[in-house]
Amino acid sequence: MLELTGISKSFGGVHAVRDVSFLLEAGEVRGLIGPNGAGKSTLVNLISGLLTPSSGTMTLNGVPLTGQSAHQRARQGIARTFQNLRVFPSLSVEQNIDVARYAGGSAALPEAAIRQFGLLDKLTLPANALSYGDQRRLEIVRGLALRPRILMLDEPAAGMNEEETEALGHALKWVQQQADCALFVIDHDLKFIMTLCDRITVLDMGSVIAEGTPQEITTNPKVISAYLGDDVSAVA
Amino acid sequence: MTLTRGQKRGVAGACILALILISIGVMASLFASNYQLRLVYSTFVNLIVVLGLQVFMGNSRLTNLSHSAFMGIGAYAAAICVTPVAMKQIALPDAPWGLNAFALDPITSALLALVITGVIAFLVGIFIVRMTGTGATIATLAVLVIVHSIFLYRTDIFKGNQAFFGIPQVFSLTSIVILAVVVVFISRGFRESAWGVMLRASADDETGAAAMGVNVTRLRLIAWVLSSLIIACAGISYAFFLGTISARPFYFNHVFLTLAMLIFGGMRTVTGAVLGTFAISFGLEVVRWLETGPVVVGIDLPEVLGLSGVMLGLVIVLTMAMRPVGVMGDREIEELFIRKR
Repeated sequence: MLELTGISKSFGGVHAVRDVSFLLEAGEVRGLIGPNGAGKSTLVNLISGLLTPSSGTMTLNGVPLTGQSAHQRARQGIARTFQNLRVFPSLSVEQNIDVARYAGGSAALPEAAIRQFGLLDKLTLPANALSYGDQRRLEIVRGLALRPRILMLDEPAAGMNEEETEALGHALKWVQQQADCALFVIDHDLKFIMTLCDRITVLDMGSVIAEGTPQEITTNPKVISAYLGDDVSAVA
Repeated sequence: MTLTRGQKRGVAGACILALILISIGVMASLFASNYQLRLVYSTFVNLIVVLGLQVFMGNSRLTNLSHSAFMGIGAYAAAICVTPVAMKQIALPDAPWGLNAFALDPITSALLALVITGVIAFLVGIFIVRMTGTGATIATLAVLVIVHSIFLYRTDIFKGNQAFFGIPQVFSLTSIVILAVVVVFISRGFRESAWGVMLRASADDETGAAAMGVNVTRLRLIAWVLSSLIIACAGISYAFFLGTISARPFYFNHVFLTLAMLIFGGMRTVTGAVLGTFAISFGLEVVRWLETGPVVVGIDLPEVLGLSGVMLGLVIVLTMAMRPVGVMGDREIEELFIRKR
């Protein structure tokens, strides 16, 4: 569905993303992991149109995304959340969700998703009155209000405790089944990624060094060396 | 069509503001002297300017310093259309393109003035909305200077600093109160509309809004043109009441005055625009009286010229320093009556 071919991005002389190609299938749950500075967030920014690739092409269901701005891509079904939160603080929770509904042209409030992420009794609150975890959940619901085909989550579990992370995993499984959209998840919590994702792509120094099922990834020597063995062996 | 929670509250809030405006209008027509009546009228004209300014600045949170120029464009366009031919032959003997050889009825003139202002605002807006922050602010300032220079030096059309006279005085206090009430509903309606909510989201976080599918430049342009049209209405009603206009009232002093009103009341809300306009107008009258050196409780105060300018500047500086969101902040009038949950 979403296909990246030879995507590269350099800032000055620094190659943040080098020659990345992969295919994301409809309805798939894909994890994206890698050490700090591997280029994960840059890749998400390139897909969502906030950055323009230095070279390479991208297509969504065969339609090229080149030259399309971020808001056009969002309307075509590429939704995302942000690592550093970007809720609209002066708007209510409901209005935050409305923004995506209005822009994406969907009529109804995604009530089931709102309930699933525990925001039903918080709709009238200003978004900046929400806890950190609730703001993260609001970003996900807001993304779903676009009725996306892909929802990209940039560190959705950051700052959450174990219990919250587990609940988030369940909610995301629900999203995949109910909302009929692919998930593309970046996170540092490998346990969270391993239990949630069908397939995992590993990025290091801007390049894809491995791709496969969680089992394949944990036993891949390249991945282990990229992580210096520590994190991965802790999970395995 | 079902209204959102925000829209239902918007209707309630606009109704409360409308009641307040109508009460002020009724009180003025019952008790005010002729001089006071003119003051109240000009306050209502400024209110419409500030409401128009709020539509753009409050929702996009970009600064506009050219609004008085658009008030002038509306006023001059309507004046040129509506003034009787006999008057124009005297006032504008050298007018080009047959501008002094025709006259239209007031309604057609007003509509034509709105079309002209709308087209100019659209063309200027295309450039403005692509800029951000300081760049946009300075560009609007440049627009103000350009328009003022044209008013000043194309004396064959605008008469410059001399009075353009002979405009039929078809507006009364009643008409301006009705117009202000309509504009309150329009500006609150825009704020709570899909466009308004998306624009406010982009002001909170431009990147976040773009990632949600919001076309920020398009929305800014819509708000810019609507804002200019509202401000043009103020210009037209100014010309239609006074019967004479000149270039000076559409320049810096007026930009500064209306900006102070909006900043003091709080640019993010329609309520803030209304509150700021009346508070500053009233405060300014008191200051003007103090300027003349009156005798207060037996003490003969000295004459202090320029006090009003100093006070206006202080209001802006103090509001910016101590409460940048203005008195109302993010709260509209109906929220003062709703219990906080």
